[in-house]
Amino acid sequence: MKKKLKIYSLLFILLLSAGINAQNTTPLIQSKLDGTVVDDITNQPIIGASINIKGTTHGVQTDAEGKFYFQTGQKFPYTLIVSYIGYKKAEIVVNKNPVTIHLKEERQELDELVVVGYGAQKRKDITGSVASVPKANLAQVTSSADNLLRGAIAGVVVTQSSGRPGASSSVRIRGGNSITAGNEPLYVVDGILIYNDNNNGTAGVSNAGSSINVLSTINPGDIESIEVLKDASATAIYGSRGANGVVIITTKKGTKGQDNISYQGYFGFQNVSKKLHLMNASQWASLRNDVQASIGQAPSFSAAQIEAFKTSGSYDWQDALFRTAAPVQNHQLSFSGGDEKSRYAVSAGYFQQDGIVIASDFKRISLRVNYERNYSQNFKFGVNANYSNSVSNGVGTNGGATAGRSPSPLVVALYQPPVVPIKNADGSYNLTNNPYATAVNGIIPNPINDLVSTTNETKINRILTSLFGEYKITKKLVAKVAVSGDVINTKQNYYAPATTTTGAGTKGLASVGDRLVSSVLNENTLNYNTTFGENHKFSVLGGYTLQYTQGEVVNAGANTFVNDANTYNALQDGVAVKPYSDAFESVLKSWLTRINYSYRGKYNLTLSARADGSSRFGSESLWGYFPSAGFSWNITDEDFAKNIKGVTEAKLRITAGTTGNQEIGNYLSLPAMGSVNYSFGGTLYTGLAPTRLANPDLKWEKTNQYNVGLDLSLLDRKINFVFDVYYKKTNDLLINVPVPLTSGYATVLQNIGGVENKGVEVGLITENIKTENFSWNSNFVFSANKNKVVSIGNGVDQFFPVVPNGSLLQQQPVTVKVGLPLGTFWGYKTNGIFQTQEEVNTQPKINSLANTKVGDRKYVDTNGDGVITAADKGNLGSSQPKFVGSFSNTVSYHDFDLNFSFQGSYGGKVFNALNQQLEISTLGTNANVTLDDRWTPTNPSNEIPRATSSPLGIVSERYVEDASFLRLKLITLGYTLPKSLSQKLGTKSIKFYISAENLITWTKYTGYDPEVSSYEQNNLYPGIDFGSYPNSKTFISGLNVTF
Amino acid sequence: MKKIILTILLSAGLFASCTDLEVTPTSFVTEDNYFKTQDDAIASVTAAYASLSLDPGEQSLFGRNLYFLTDMGSDYASAGVSATNPQVRAMSNLTHDATNDRVQVAWRQIYNGINRANVSIDNIPKVAGTEAVKTRLINEAKFIRALLYFQAVRLWGGVPIVLHEPTSIKLESLKSRRETVDAVYTQIISDLNAAETLPATYPASDAGRATSGAAKAILTKVYLTRKDYPNAILKAREVINGGYGYGLFESFADIFNKAKKNGKEHIFSVQFEANQAGNGSSGNNFQATSFIGYTATEPADIVSDVALFYDIYALGDTRRDESYAKQLPITGTANTYTFPKPIFKKYIDFSNLATPGNVAINFPIIRYADILLSLAEAINEQGAPTPEAYELINQIRRRAFGKPIATPDATIDLAGLTQVTFRAAIQEERKKEFVQEGQRWFDLVRWGTLVTEVKKVTAKNSVTERNNLYPIPQSERSFDPVGLPQNPGY
Repeated sequence: MKKKLKIYSLLFILLLSAGINAQNTTPLIQSKLDGTVVDDITNQPIIGASINIKGTTHGVQTDAEGKFYFQTGQKFPYTLIVSYIGYKKAEIVVNKNPVTIHLKEERQELDELVVVGYGAQKRKDITGSVASVPKANLAQVTSSADNLLRGAIAGVVVTQSSGRPGASSSVRIRGGNSITAGNEPLYVVDGILIYNDNNNGTAGVSNAGSSINVLSTINPGDIESIEVLKDASATAIYGSRGANGVVIITTKKGTKGQDNISYQGYFGFQNVSKKLHLMNASQWASLRNDVQASIGQAPSFSAAQIEAFKTSGSYDWQDALFRTAAPVQNHQLSFSGGDEKSRYAVSAGYFQQDGIVIASDFKRISLRVNYERNYSQNFKFGVNANYSNSVSNGVGTNGGATAGRSPSPLVVALYQPPVVPIKNADGSYNLTNNPYATAVNGIIPNPINDLVSTTNETKINRILTSLFGEYKITKKLVAKVAVSGDVINTKQNYYAPATTTTGAGTKGLASVGDRLVSSVLNENTLNYNTTFGENHKFSVLGGYTLQYTQGEVVNAGANTFVNDANTYNALQDGVAVKPYSDAFESVLKSWLTRINYSYRGKYNLTLSARADGSSRFGSESLWGYFPSAGFSWNITDEDFAKNIKGVTEAKLRITAGTTGNQEIGNYLSLPAMGSVNYSFGGTLYTGLAPTRLANPDLKWEKTNQYNVGLDLSLLDRKINFVFDVYYKKTNDLLINVPVPLTSGYATVLQNIGGVENKGVEVGLITENIKTENFSWNSNFVFSANKNKVVSIGNGVDQFFPVVPNGSLLQQQPVTVKVGLPLGTFWGYKTNGIFQTQEEVNTQPKINSLANTKVGDRKYVDTNGDGVITAADKGNLGSSQPKFVGSFSNTVSYHDFDLNFSFQGSYGGKVFNALNQQLEISTLGTNANVTLDDRWTPTNPSNEIPRATSSPLGIVSERYVEDASFLRLKLITLGYTLPKSLSQKLGTKSIKFYISAENLITWTKYTGYDPEVSSYEQNNLYPGIDFGSYPNSKTFISGLNVTF
Repeated sequence: MKKIILTILLSAGLFASCTDLEVTPTSFVTEDNYFKTQDDAIASVTAAYASLSLDPGEQSLFGRNLYFLTDMGSDYASAGVSATNPQVRAMSNLTHDATNDRVQVAWRQIYNGINRANVSIDNIPKVAGTEAVKTRLINEAKFIRALLYFQAVRLWGGVPIVLHEPTSIKLESLKSRRETVDAVYTQIISDLNAAETLPATYPASDAGRATSGAAKAILTKVYLTRKDYPNAILKAREVINGGYGYGLFESFADIFNKAKKNGKEHIFSVQFEANQAGNGSSGNNFQATSFIGYTATEPADIVSDVALFYDIYALGDTRRDESYAKQLPITGTANTYTFPKPIFKKYIDFSNLATPGNVAINFPIIRYADILLSLAEAINEQGAPTPEAYELINQIRRRAFGKPIATPDATIDLAGLTQVTFRAAIQEERKKEFVQEGQRWFDLVRWGTLVTEVKKVTAKNSVTERNNLYPIPQSERSFDPVGLPQNPGY
């Protein structure tokens, strides 16, 4: 009790003293000073700069015009201390009234604090490879934070898998390390560790299509900064989760000073960036006649009909697929500010985007509170809380026997014969008049109707919250405890009515799914900072963390509905299909430490280590250890280098370390039994069959990484150059190693493979021009990565991943082969067209075609055995680009500013499976217009074969296309109202801007977009385009107001 | 205050340390908590049966995958326009090589089933339960194992014999060498002899399980294939006279009638039931690939040559229109659709056209008609046709023409044949009788007529003697090229 009293009184005194401190000192003599603080170069007023009279506690801040006013007891001359974030602190002696103070922009970039794992460091002291996303990049229009990384940082490659609003993207930092485990980086959002597992964006409802990007639950407008940790010295502190790199996202915090209310909003519209060239009715009718002739059927169309189609009766299904000027809008209201003791930032956001494909959209409401309070001089605590609710309607996939060739309604729409009308005369969708398709239960499915009438909704609610307390035990020793929670709830609703492809066979198909994943993280760290004498600076970090993740999934469905009235909310009205449920949990315990030592800021050494114990690993290898070491040398601090002309800063970095990847899934070390059904007497019984052998040695994948870097600042930091070379070798790769099938198993999961990545990265930030009214800054980023599979175990040197699509599964377009990069395409080389019977008789023919005829395609007999078999297939290139780069510019002139950035990629390939299918002639589907130039006796094409009715997809170099591109990614023109005007309107500042995204793309790729990956984050078969949702051109106009 | 804050911080830290790294899965069964009760034993044998009808992500073994080897690789069936797998087309042209995925999948499915049977045979002895039931279950597993080895030995010759489940993930303990054909047959016969002690019948609720009659029927085929005619005759007579109650359906159409499943003619069938393979799929893929609607587009499975296989049925032979459909009434209308080429009909369920992957028509492994023709063949091979042999083949013919089975009918009955012409008659009868029943390729190889018969089909004229065996999958040989020598010609 006594103790308590003591504490309360102590608390009271503390509060009181804080209150006293906050008050301004009353002036003794009335003396006035009027002043203005402006930027040294631009002469723009600086708002919110703080001015203190030296030797007193008297301080004021500049107002919206950069003006300040003192009434003070001090007599001239006295000294003012003027400071503002981003500017050099100035001490100015004043001896007259009024005064204008010029502040110089702070260019000591190496002194800025950079967020690193479990702390922040001065850039000058950093040994690892850490890069920040430029501010201009953070202003892009996007639904999801990972897109902000696009083209921003050397060594980071972001591929959006589709143009669907809220779609997932794959992020690779310095290439992919893993074959079967996760390759996505670790995200750390305000200290909360998140693996961006897109499985969390789906509840497993079948036919629902691509998953929603769970990172889209974080409002990009809330993001203050993004740092990317690339090398082992920086990431080893994250141990078994650091191997793929780490992205640290920090949200906007309040700052001491004025309270701000700001509104940011934009409206815009989007259009498909490109249309495919498909046949019109006349061309298709002629093609069909030729197909019929090839199988001895009488032609369907007369010459007169074909001629007549040129003027009427042609229907463009692709047009029906796309919206024109699909709207997108975003509104965000934020409140931020702070005083001596507390800082806050509160925001609410609303984002809405209609997709460019009909019936797809994305909507998000997000709320955020960041609050921090200095409870006492030694103790502060805070909360970062984020809630978001998003609803997305997407393009589903098709199920059933035809799904191999027709994976989604989007693709089926392209297949529709152009002579088939989309709608009936009364405006309803045509579900009967199509002689080229088969009716199911009296209905001929129409892909446009499929899209419009199918419900395919994903709702994600996410709460991401962390609480922390930080206590200074002594001046040198700080303890921090943080507890955070991350809850993602995903609900999916699906209903395909009886009029749709998926629902026709079963008279409606409904399913609902729910996934709830919650993760609790506790982190406890101690930080000790000290110096010995002038020269030796030490800091030691130690910590213990624990993360517990638990998930539950359930989905259920029904079919055979009486009508389409009740859909997924009344499964009991239909016949139940087998439900599914699953649950999982995982635990990760870690000890971590880091020691930084700096000798006079000249030589810096970082040693870090983490020990991770994970429940995902086998019983024989529960704990993994991940050490790293980094050294940096600030060369320009050496006497001999101080006076090199033009060189402002030069720093050499050398690092080495080991990191891990534990994204291997749960329970995989345990022997599992799977359920199967068999019927006796007409009743289904459940049988249990072994599906997985036990592997008690199962463990993390281990990456050893070596990095050498050079940071160079020239000409008073007008030119900043960052150069890195790295080598990464990943061992113990988890692979489903093929084993002899006679064992009863096809594969066994083992830590057996190896992958290697090596590359160079160049970043060049330059200030090209800076005058009073005009400035131009640019940021050039270049990276090249070379990826190679080193081993896949058991003496196997090649395997073909199973692509989850009936057609691609058989074609085996992608291979994993020792010595080649991941995502290597494997197929035939072509050799023109058989022009004569003589050629047919004497040259090698493909073994899958029974009767090769004149006009068929020739393939290259690489092994010279006289017949074209699978053995003649070979390497057709990889989806991994040879290099990628971007060039971003910010130009400002008076009140105008212009941002534009180019992005490019060179040397990557895409397997255009869609075009392969569109170049197959059949009796019932439309084709690429290239088939109009098909081989006929009168048109001896050497490129396009004759018309046949033989829908056989063959992987050949023709469909493995060059996906190199250069793109004007973003161009934004902004205008900031002059202060005088914006103040008249009662605001602090007003900015208008217009912006265009994906305005121009230069590429040879024939599909919708070269940045594509139909199978999302998958490592094994990236770069396949099988009718992914196309990308859009976006035009927006926006307004930012601060009150 | 310092203490309070420290206490709070410390207790938050402590909360962290009380969680264990060992997590127990709650959503699947691990082998550690399995094989305790009789129900576990039953479920493991059920899984062995399911290897015949279900393979998630693939066409099941008897649901179509074996068909590529046993039918499409023979003369009468070929890959239609809708067959989009180049490997299937290569199989149809008999130009397949050792990398053919259908061959590899069949190999995998067969050994996967063998392993499931091995798991049952290894583990059932240790569960608590009635000895009689346990013995029965083990013998059922042995039947499945023998059935699968019987497929393997005919398709590939001497294959590796694996009789126990693997206990380690080390490559050395997972791989096996090829054995001789004789050794494989010795194993098959030993397992089937054990299975001969199975019950003759089961309660209706267990219909579809392997019986002693089924074991004897498979043994008949084993001995016939081995040209051990005395034993073939012995076992066939045990099937016919063993009091099992087997007989021919009066109507050929009833064989593939869903309502007559596991009837008197069905000695052993792979069971297919709606939704058996999961939502909306039974594991039987034949309907989806034989009939794709009232359309001129050829389905994936189609007769290779109409003149050689469809036009050969005599007038009045009901088997033609039960095996093939040239015309079909369009359901729900008064119209009829005529196909450019007759389609396969046995596995089309006209009550279930909308969900072609969910057809519940069983696949007959062995039916009574096969035993009758096998016995006739064995008798004839011993010298000449006997009256018994004539009666056996004539029963099949009478039923085919819709006549009373037991009543001699001079318009249909065969008589006065030599051994050679009787042999030809049996071969002709089997061709007409067992369309799409996984028999044709085995028959042609047994008779030694594969090359001559298949060559008659123009599109299949790449056939050579090598086609009397399938290649050992290349992927399998990569582990042990010495222990797994390739069959000739691949």
